[in-house]
Amino acid sequence: MTRHDPALLSAALLGAERALNQAILLAPTSHRELEALSGTLLGIEVTSLELTLYVELVPGAEVRLLNHCEEKPTAFVRGSIEDFTALIASDDPAATLINSGIELQGSSASLIHLQQVISGMDIDWEAPLVERLGDVMGHQIAEALRSVFSWSEGARKSLKRQLSEYLLEEGRLTPPKLELEHFFEGVQTLSMQVERAQAKVERLMAKAASRRTQ
Amino acid sequence: MNDDAVGSNNPDDSTDFGFSRVDRTAKASMVREVFDSVASRYDLMNDLMSGGIHRLWKRFTIELSAARAGQTILDIAGGTGDLAAKFSRLVGPDGRVILADINAAMLEVGRDRLIDKGATGNIDIVQADAQALPFEDDSIDCITIAFGLRNVTDKATALRSMLRVLRPGGRLLVLEFSKPTSPLLAKIYDQYSFQVLPVMGTLIAQDSDSYRYLAESIRKHPDQDTLLGLMEEAGFVNGSYHNMTGGIVAVHRGFKA
Repeated sequence: MTRHDPALLSAALLGAERALNQAILLAPTSHRELEALSGTLLGIEVTSLELTLYVELVPGAEVRLLNHCEEKPTAFVRGSIEDFTALIASDDPAATLINSGIELQGSSASLIHLQQVISGMDIDWEAPLVERLGDVMGHQIAEALRSVFSWSEGARKSLKRQLSEYLLEEGRLTPPKLELEHFFEGVQTLSMQVERAQAKVERLMAKAASRRTQ
Repeated sequence: MNDDAVGSNNPDDSTDFGFSRVDRTAKASMVREVFDSVASRYDLMNDLMSGGIHRLWKRFTIELSAARAGQTILDIAGGTGDLAAKFSRLVGPDGRVILADINAAMLEVGRDRLIDKGATGNIDIVQADAQALPFEDDSIDCITIAFGLRNVTDKATALRSMLRVLRPGGRLLVLEFSKPTSPLLAKIYDQYSFQVLPVMGTLIAQDSDSYRYLAESIRKHPDQDTLLGLMEEAGFVNGSYHNMTGGIVAVHRGFKA
């Protein structure tokens, strides 16, 4: 249970639940995949917001967002809002889950599967637009929306790539992954050599001390 | 605490009806008249009066019920059946929902709404007095009473009746108007209740008196801690409550040992 007003939280969850279920209805592939995950209950504790909520997948590929739940979750995750944002946007959720500050109890497989379904959701905007505005107008607006989404996705990927190139190559602000791994290997080797040298010194000092007593 | 809270221990034979005192035996029929008057527009008025927030209060109450497939849920003072419709989905075809209300007009509206929503098959509709529930001992998994307890003449008797029909481990959820936690909010709420509410009642339900009674009955209802004490006195254990919307409404929960 959280310290927030349950009515306020219910309002936020109700809005998000409706939007999510509407989006699922417009994404046939995700709809089928979520149907297969029916019965999954995910508990999420956002430590930075002192907020706990539950995501339940019910038959019919519907999502229920709950403020309070007494069932044992399939998976329970605890982390900061930054950790969860990174996990949702991640291309490799398993690696993000391991490397981030998220604590996980229960089945990681169902959590990763759910993240993949949500991040891969391909919403068909055309159907509701055609239904409301007619074939011609609906199709034109859907085409325009697709172009905007496609451009923004391309722009996002291009920006990410260019930013990465600038940080690594131009500005040399962060080291490349291989260089970093090589550096860590060097640090590890040095650490082991120091430990060995220390052990040797201790052994020699012990020997010298025993000779002095003789 | 008002005299309703102590229930049958009241030495005289009068009780509160809003801010007025009436004969204990007359209260039930007077409350019935109020709800007969507002039944057909009850949901609309609730939406307008609360700005739709009553749906959020009820949503949280349903979450606290932890209702599962196969359970038996009793919704007392269930009136127009909005909680019963949601419970019907949660308990599924193997479960059972009993929609109970003392008022026949409210039940009729509720029955029609449930049929319109397609919520049938696992719902029984029963006209019953919360003070003398016509159900077997230890037969119900969860009881909810949303915005109904303040209209009951003898709250202590009603709570004992609820405890009797609950299964051991079963829970009671009382969703009811309560006492705002902030003095500023309490002032604004008072102005709204006694100035705005009766006007809305006149405009929408053509009945300002009934809505004035609703506002007055809220003020006479026990506050959060007093109601929790009443539940404990009736025999409920592990009692707790959650304030919602600054304490304007609270949901109390208690279990049968």
